[in-house]
Amino acid sequence: MTAEDRDREALSALMDGEAQELELRRVLDSISSDPSLRERWRRQQQVRERLQGQRTHAPDVDVSIRVREVLDTGRSVSRNPIWSMAVAASVTLAVVMGGQQLLIPSSGIAPAPVVSELGGAVVPVLGAQPVQASLGARSLPVSNRQTAGIQSAGQSVAAVYERLARDRYHRLNGRHAASAAQSHPAPYISYVRVPEIKPEAPVSE
Amino acid sequence: MTASDTDKQLVQRAQRGDLRAFDLLVLKYQGRIAALVSRYVSDPGEAEDVTQEAFIKAFRALEQFRGDSAFYTWLYRIAANAAKNYLVAKGRRPRADATIEDAEGFDDGWLLAESSSPEAVAMGDELAGVVEAAMRALPDELRSALTLRELDGLSYDDIADVLECPVGTVRSRIFRAREAIDARVREQMNGESGFR
Repeated sequence: MTAEDRDREALSALMDGEAQELELRRVLDSISSDPSLRERWRRQQQVRERLQGQRTHAPDVDVSIRVREVLDTGRSVSRNPIWSMAVAASVTLAVVMGGQQLLIPSSGIAPAPVVSELGGAVVPVLGAQPVQASLGARSLPVSNRQTAGIQSAGQSVAAVYERLARDRYHRLNGRHAASAAQSHPAPYISYVRVPEIKPEAPVSE
Repeated sequence: MTASDTDKQLVQRAQRGDLRAFDLLVLKYQGRIAALVSRYVSDPGEAEDVTQEAFIKAFRALEQFRGDSAFYTWLYRIAANAAKNYLVAKGRRPRADATIEDAEGFDDGWLLAESSSPEAVAMGDELAGVVEAAMRALPDELRSALTLRELDGLSYDDIADVLECPVGTVRSRIFRAREAIDARVREQMNGESGFR
């Protein structure tokens, strides 16, 4: 049995919750370097759904790459300062432009409570990590009393728009980074650190 | 051991920041979540955005998942809320409502989503047909092992008892059965562009 066969068998066992911890680790390592293993996992999940009569006739959606991009981008650190500065500049530009677009009032949408009027920028806070100014949502550290007032339906509207804008930005930034990576002669990591995104309200189980 | 043990293993790793583990969960559940979201949001592009958003939100809230419920039930709730919030933000009313019982009953077979397009139904039926034909073509020993696993939900140990063979043999038979089915599915995918 080859190493590839062993990985595929371990993948099959993982589907059934029968893989050992070491096998899981090996599969995760192999999936990183072998996209076909990842595709196999996806196909076999679809096959399982059919076998078990779970008819998910949804459009053939694959959001996994985009999800990964967004999560990766939010966590990674650029090792090339020049590239970082360039991307940071484009980040600011994208956020400002996106913010201008989103702040245009739209009929039928209730105005969201605004804590910060900042159009969009990375705001340095003394003794704290950078905080991204957001569009109509909390952007600066505020007291609990202040935050209590914004836990409303209106905030969730603003938060949705903010997330959509952020995701759109990450998508565009990913494409931009990939295309720059192909044309840039110097080696660098083609992603950039962005301010950490704070978790939202707890989700009950 | 069951498939939910798989989720536990992957969730635990994802909670420690392993994005590869979370990626496998996304690949596993994105079809079901997209189907759920489509029940609220009819536009395919918007539904895809909301599906993506639901997974990102789930990852960010993963620390709060304690395992009291099944991971899919928890994820389902996040996705349903994401879809509802999206519609509220757009000033629209949900055209359908999904209950948590839908998520919990999913493992017993999910009903056809009302929003399914004819193309999606056709593709789903096509895959089901390929899988069914591939199952029929399997040697008996492989088909029995896979049937006991996928349809009866037995663990490898239980299957070994039923088939009176070592657990290692069960594991190998299930693996070989999946390989054979996967070969047929890939063959079909390569032959027809509309089928992925």
